[in-house]
This record gives sequence, structure tokens and C-alpha cells, in this order.
Amino acid sequence: MKNTLKLPFILSLIVFLFNGFNNIYGQSDCLNIQINASFKDKPLMLNDTVYAFKNNHKIRFETLKFYLSSVTLIERALPVWKEEESFHLIDFEERDSNALCLEIPDGLTFDAIQFNLGIDSLTNVSGALGGDLDPTKGMYWTWQNGYINFKLEGTSNLCNNPKNEFQFHLGGYTAPWSNVQQIKLNVANTSAFNISFNLLQFVNELDLENLNHIMSPSDSAVDYAKLAAKCFSIK
Amino acid sequence: MIKYFLVVICLVFTQLIEQNNSYNTPKNWPAPFYNFKKNKLSKEKILLGRVLFYDPILSKDSTISCNSCHSPFSAFTHVDHAVSHGIHDSIGTRNAPALMNLAWHKSFMWDGAINNLDMQSLAPISHPAEMGSNINDVVMKLNRSKLYKKLYHNAFNDSIATGEHTLKAIAQFMLTIVSCNSRYDKVMNNENKFTPQEENGYQIFKKNCSSCHTEPLFTNGEFANNGLASDALLNDKGRARITQKKEDAYKFKVPTLRNIEFSYPYMHDGRFKKLNEVLNHYTNGIKKSETLDAKLQNGIVLTSNEKVDVIAFLLTLSDKQFLFDKKFAYPKEVIHLQ
Ligand code: HEC
Ligand code: HEC
Repeated sequence: MKNTLKLPFILSLIVFLFNGFNNIYGQSDCLNIQINASFKDKPLMLNDTVYAFKNNHKIRFETLKFYLSSVTLIERALPVWKEEESFHLIDFEERDSNALCLEIPDGLTFDAIQFNLGIDSLTNVSGALGGDLDPTKGMYWTWQNGYINFKLEGTSNLCNNPKNEFQFHLGGYTAPWSNVQQIKLNVANTSAFNISFNLLQFVNELDLENLNHIMSPSDSAVDYAKLAAKCFSIK
Repeated sequence: MIKYFLVVICLVFTQLIEQNNSYNTPKNWPAPFYNFKKNKLSKEKILLGRVLFYDPILSKDSTISCNSCHSPFSAFTHVDHAVSHGIHDSIGTRNAPALMNLAWHKSFMWDGAINNLDMQSLAPISHPAEMGSNINDVVMKLNRSKLYKKLYHNAFNDSIATGEHTLKAIAQFMLTIVSCNSRYDKVMNNENKFTPQEENGYQIFKKNCSSCHTEPLFTNGEFANNGLASDALLNDKGRARITQKKEDAYKFKVPTLRNIEFSYPYMHDGRFKKLNEVLNHYTNGIKKSETLDAKLQNGIVLTSNEKVDVIAFLLTLSDKQFLFDKKFAYPKEVIHLQ
């Protein structure tokens, strides 16, 4: 009688200890991926730097923030690992937010990484959420519901308004303006790689003379989100 | 073995927790729409939400609270104000809806702009013409208050106010605002009887009105154009503002008629002060348009006696117990402690 009780106890102790070790060592296993933004192959500078682009027009950036979510590792077109609760606010004002630390098992092999630019529709209707999804992060619309997936703000002489401003708040989670974009990038060296957002490529495609504000879900918001999705690459 | 044992214990535990937090659905009502699993009710969270609801700390200059526009004595609407200083791009154009039975709503605002009760508070807090603050400032102010440190700690086991916890607490208080003790409810539960006039009004109502104002909530939760002539100046397109679809133009969320006696003025822009004006609208005032609801194409035919009977019935939807319920009142026991 006593023995039958003891065995499960010892077993559970072993399982417990094993799990404990796993957790301690698991952290060093975290696959660290930096998310960078570049302008003309240099790290993006916000606020004070005025860049030249499109034949000597000028552009300056104040805010670049976006959500990466549902991070998945892929091998031969099949998902081999999915991050749980996978929501990351990437904010180029707050440097340290721009690293993902994926706690993958030892020896996992993969050849591509897949993620969403933005927040899926289910999460959009799930009420108040915390962490990177807390509405105090400034990435939630107030007059109409939904997350802002991608936010770019700044000034350019091309913008025909009193302060020469542009503001792109891209989001929307219902048809026909579902805004979230899935991105898949092939990875050659899986032990060390970074993800880079090429902002120059993005702004070169913009029509700042005619469209310098997007503040709600729309066709243009979807077009711009698609554009943004193309500007990610592995570095 | 041990695994099963743990699983069983776990089940028993969650069962206990579920029971403690169970939401009282009135007899014969449908299941609520709100997902309580994501925001489990507790006494402490509801209290925090009630204090926040009544606290002008949510507004920029600390003068306006939720109850400035949603007062309990008028079924949580803005008494006698046709248009409360409205929200977002509908500044000054919309009437504050009565708040009750919100757990059964699928969307919020006259046009359904808000998809989840949790997120409702962001709109008034952020609007310059309303509370003119933003959730970051609100959270910062709350984190400077000793009283709130205690209330947040009691509610969430974390004395730091976050956006998530603030919104969830206010939602919890609003979820408790349930009206289900009107004469009508008592009649339905066989505890009371309609007068012959009320009974006649009820029959007429069932025939003409309940397709949209569906029992027991007295709304079907859908959007409809009930034939109000649109105000040329405001040109509030209602639901179409959200969906951008032509077929949604001038459709508004069907409001509940519970406590209708107290929630005047009526309609999204508060254009009618009295119930007989509303009935005259349905009999003589329907304006034809492309999106006018099919059921109202020919107006509703009622004699003046029948109108009086319908109004007599509508008055049975008043719930005095609800209007004066101490559970919803200004939390003097807490604010007093400050
Ligand atoms: C200045 C007046 C004002 C204040 C302050 C105010 N509201 Fe409102 N409320 C309104 C108006 C007007 C509407 C309808 C707006 C619309 O449909 O566009 C509304 C709508 C609502 C609704 C939707 C009800 C439904 O049936 O769809 C809820 C819930 C609500 N308010 C809760 C709150 C809470 C919580 C607060 C405090 C954080 C608050 N309100 C502060 C005026 C106000
Ligand atoms: C086709 C659906 C429909 C039918 C049928 C209908 N209503 Fe309505 N009712 C609405 C809608 C939608 C509104 C809100 C319209 C607005 O504000 O733009 C409304 C508003 C009201 C209001 C104002 C509520 C408030 O809080 O402002 C009253 C009262 C009312 N209806 C009573 C009735 C009665 C009585 C009948 C039957 C004679 C009836 N309705 C039939 C859809 C309907």
C-alpha cells in the first residue's frame, strides 16, 4: 500500500526536477532575433535626422511601430515550432523591445520563419488584453475598435498640409479591409540571423503628395500593409 | 495515476471557481454574449469598476465621469439631453443610450463601432469633447492614488493600474447593470398580471414591434433603419460609417425598450421627448428610403386608443428596483474612505 503511494511521488519529483532544470537551461537556448529598421542600409534614426529621398525631397521620421505576431518556424514548408502568446510590439523609440527571444527546443532545425505583420481578427475582438497588447501602448483605436498594426509618422516637404506631416495608422480586422499580413522569409544560417525592415523601400512607393494620412481601415490601408510586408528581409 | 489525480483536483478547483463567479442569467433569458472566461467576475473587480465609473479622475480636468452622461436614475442615460456631448466624429450628434443588460449585446454604440464591452471606455476617455484624456494619462493618475493602489490590489492582486485591468474592471461593473425586475418580468413569471389595457398593448406590440424589439431583451441586437428622416445637417449615416456599405446607410442599433419611461429623449439623436411622439412616428412619420426596413414599408397602422394601450404596456417595462439599486449607486462607502 505504502509503496504504491511512494512510487508516483518519486516519479512526480523526478518530473518536477527535470522540468525545473529544463526551465533554467531553456533560457540560454532562446533563439535571439533582432528586428532592425534601415534607411539606405543604415540603422534608422528617428526625430532629428532628415533624409533625402526621391530626387532630393526630404523626409524625417518620428514614429515607427508595428506588431509582429504568430511567429512560426518552418521546415520544408511545414511548421515545426509555434510561439505561444506570440505578440510583439516593435517600437523604434524603445530599443530593447526590438528583439525576439524564441524559446525553441535544442537541436530544432528549420529553413524559414513566418510571422504576421499585425494582429489577427480573433485577438481584435477579445476585449482588453495586457502586455504588448495593452491599450496604453498607443496601438489601439479608440473611436472604433481594433489594433493599429503598423504606425509610421513623420514629416516631408512632399506633404501638402500645414505641418507637412504624414501619419499612417494601418489596421482593420474585418472584410474587406482585413489588414494583417503573413510574411515568410527563408533563413540560411539558422543560428544567427536578424530581420530587417527596409523603410526606404517602403517610402519610395508612397504617394505623399496625394495621400499622407491613413487613420482608419480602408483599401489604401490594405495596400500599404501589403507594401510594408514586402519590405522585410533576413539580414 | 498521479496525473489523473491532478487532473481531477484541477477540475474540481475550476468548477469551484466557476461557481463562485457565475453570472445570474434571469429565468428564460438567452445565454449572455459576453465571454466571462476572459474576464472572470469578482466582487472586488466589480467594486473597482464602480468606483472608476463614478470617478471624474477619468477625464482630463477631473470634472466628468461616466455617470455625468449615464446616470442610474435615468437608466444610465443622459437625462433630458437630446445629444450628450457626443463621441468621436459624432461630436454633439448622438444621444447617450441607456445602459443595461450589456452582457447580451454583440456590439456597442448606435453604429456598433465598439466590438467588446471592455473597449467601450476608451472612446469617451479619449475624446476631446468628452473626457478629453487618454488611457495612458488615466493610468498614470490612478497609479498616483493610494485608494486605487488598494482597490487594484484587492481586485487583481497587483496594485499597479494597467490599461487592461482598468478597462476590465469598468466592464465588470457595467456587466452587473442588469434590469430584469419590471412588472413585465413579474407577469412573465406569473407573479403579477397585466391590466386589460396593458394586455391589449402587449398583443399589439408583439404583432408590430417585437420583430426588432425582441423579448426578453427588447432588442434583437441588429441594425435597422426605422424610417427617421435624416437630419440634413448632421447626416449621420449610422452603421454605414463603420461598414462603408451603402446597404447599411441610416441603420442604427435597435435599442432596448426596458425602462423606456425614464430614458427619454428617444432615438439616436434624441429627437423625440415623449413616447406618443415615437408612436406617431411609427404610424405617420415613416420616411421612405432605400434602406428602410421591409417591415415598416407601409408604416404601422394603429388607432389612437391602440397607441395609448401600447404605451401602457411599455410602462410595464419600468424596473424601479433597478433604478434605485444601491449596487449601482455612487460608491460613497469607498470614496468616503479617501
Ligand atoms: C459626455 C457624455 C458621455 C460620457 C462622459 C460617457 N459616455 Fe458613454 N455614451 C455617450 C454617448 C453619446 C454614447 C453613444 C455614442 C454613439 O453611439 O456614437 C455612449 C455610449 C456608451 C455605451 C454603449 C451602449 C450601447 O448600448 O451601445 C456604453 C457601454 C457607454 N457609453 C459606457 C460609458 C462609460 C463606461 C463611460 C466612462 C468611462 C462613458 N460611457 C462616458 C455619452 C457619454
Ligand atoms: C424594423 C425594426 C423596428 C420595428 C418594427 C420597430 N422599431 Fe422601434 N426602433 C428601431 C430602431 C432601429 C430604433 C433606433 C432608431 C434610431 O435611433 O435611429 C428604434 C427606436 C425605438 C424607440 C426609442 C428608444 C430609445 O431608447 O431611444 C422606441 C420607444 C421604439 N423604437 C418603439 C417601438 C415600438 C412601440 C414599435 C412598434 C409600434 C417599434 N419600435 C417598432 C427599430 C424598430
